[in-house]
Amino acid sequence: MRWYWKAIGPKKIIEFLVLVVFVIFFLGPLLNLAILAFTGNWKYPEAFPHEWSLKWWRFVLQQEDIAKSIGLSFLIATIVTAISILICVPAAYAFARIRFPLSRFFLFSFLLTNAFPKMGLYVSIAVLFYKLGLMNTLAGVVLIHIVNVLMYMTWIPTASFRNVHTAQEESARDVGASPFRVFRSITLPLAMPGILVASIFTFLNSLDEAQGTFLVGIPNFKTMPVIMYSIISDYPAYAGAVFSIILTLPTIILLLAAKRFVSADVLSSGFQFK
Amino acid sequence: MSKQTKMGILGLLLVLPSFLVLFVIVVLPIALSFKESLTNASGGYDLSNYIYLFTNKLMRSNIIFTLEVTIISVLLILAISYALAVYMRFNNGAVVQWIRRLYMIPMFIPGVIATYGLIQLLGNHGWAARILYQFGIESFPRIIFDMKGIIIANLWFNIPFTTMLLGSALSAVPNSVIESAKDVGAGTIQIFFKFILPLTYKTLLVGATFAFMGVIGSFTAPFLLGPNAPQMLGVSMEQVFGVFQQKQLAAALAFFTFLLCSIMGFFYIREMIKDEGVKA
Repeated sequence: MRWYWKAIGPKKIIEFLVLVVFVIFFLGPLLNLAILAFTGNWKYPEAFPHEWSLKWWRFVLQQEDIAKSIGLSFLIATIVTAISILICVPAAYAFARIRFPLSRFFLFSFLLTNAFPKMGLYVSIAVLFYKLGLMNTLAGVVLIHIVNVLMYMTWIPTASFRNVHTAQEESARDVGASPFRVFRSITLPLAMPGILVASIFTFLNSLDEAQGTFLVGIPNFKTMPVIMYSIISDYPAYAGAVFSIILTLPTIILLLAAKRFVSADVLSSGFQFK
Repeated sequence: MSKQTKMGILGLLLVLPSFLVLFVIVVLPIALSFKESLTNASGGYDLSNYIYLFTNKLMRSNIIFTLEVTIISVLLILAISYALAVYMRFNNGAVVQWIRRLYMIPMFIPGVIATYGLIQLLGNHGWAARILYQFGIESFPRIIFDMKGIIIANLWFNIPFTTMLLGSALSAVPNSVIESAKDVGAGTIQIFFKFILPLTYKTLLVGATFAFMGVIGSFTAPFLLGPNAPQMLGVSMEQVFGVFQQKQLAAALAFFTFLLCSIMGFFYIREMIKDEGVKA
């Protein structure tokens, strides 16, 4: 055995250990949930379940408030994504292409959404919503979801509009295309990957947002993550694990679909200007 | 009207809607919570809410607990992320490929789910305890419903993002710089402190800011797997607001967390603006 370790060398062994710790730490909790979701019964102290089954899936899907929360979550995420595209993409275009007074001030004002600790900001928003009567309303929930996405929904598209070469736009103008036509046929398609990635993040972020909704949306707007808070305390672990998979599924599907657009560089352009 | 004025107005019109939303959901709430936090029970203005924060025994222990958790978490996050990012930048083997493929996954997992997974894995009679039991280890430390659990959750949530930020800064360090330093005989440690650290310290600060604010402003993990007392400020705030309905006190707590982060937040915004100024 010793000769084997010596042959691989200490560097390889350390590398391997790093990978093992990494995988156990980051994927262990997820793997655990995946196993639990297909377990019928798992007695302590067995290392693996002795009975596999799908019965908890049936149980979870039969709960009425759970089914309702899935619909509600998707509705809210769609509204949030549509509104943020509508208000942020035009702003991004302006930041990238138009010279106007105070543009730097406006661009950097979006940093404010990240300059405060989240729960403190949410409680402040809740204090305002309480005065305005927006507690427990759809508008209130949608607004609190927009807090998280406003910055990268503006910054990622700004970066992608800036990356479109003006030469391409100018040559289209030279052959007689109207400014709107140039935007629609040249600028927008070239900036699309960035806008798409930002929109997908917005959708997922809204789908997964728990604490803000918990604060301003209770009791009428119980989205999937909010339901999850009560599932954790009220239901058996198997049911919680099944629901966890249902809640994570949209993320996995959308990210796999958009995989070729999602890169660390695009992601960090939402938080840092390059 | 000149074309320039027209374009200027168009630009402002395009930016205005999103700025208005920003104003309503960030600027206005913060101004209001500041005012509310100074409002006392009889409707006048004084510092009574803040005095309560520091004189009430429970609140004081919450504040100390939050600071402890935050400082330990941030130091661990930065150390591990930086090591991981440097390792990924300067190595290229099968292991690195695997880590690169996997390390962003936690960023996309809903916080509630990850927290739940950690509870199931590390809890009393959890999977980790069961597996250790097979090896004859029957006592398992109390991690969930304890400070350790919150710190572990913070690491889980923050390391991937911080590693990503640092990784993109490190990839901007040119290979030629390092190679020429090696040519003139600089050692690994020298290269690190003379070139790599100075070229990435700004991103390190941005990462520290995000981690610091992320931990102080966290709710889901401490709410689900933290101890009942003392609590993290995020949980305490929610209870004061939602359960005890003391809006002014909740506002004071929120504003107190802003003050804790203000130095870092200010620094973060200044660095980002300065950066853009150089490139614009």
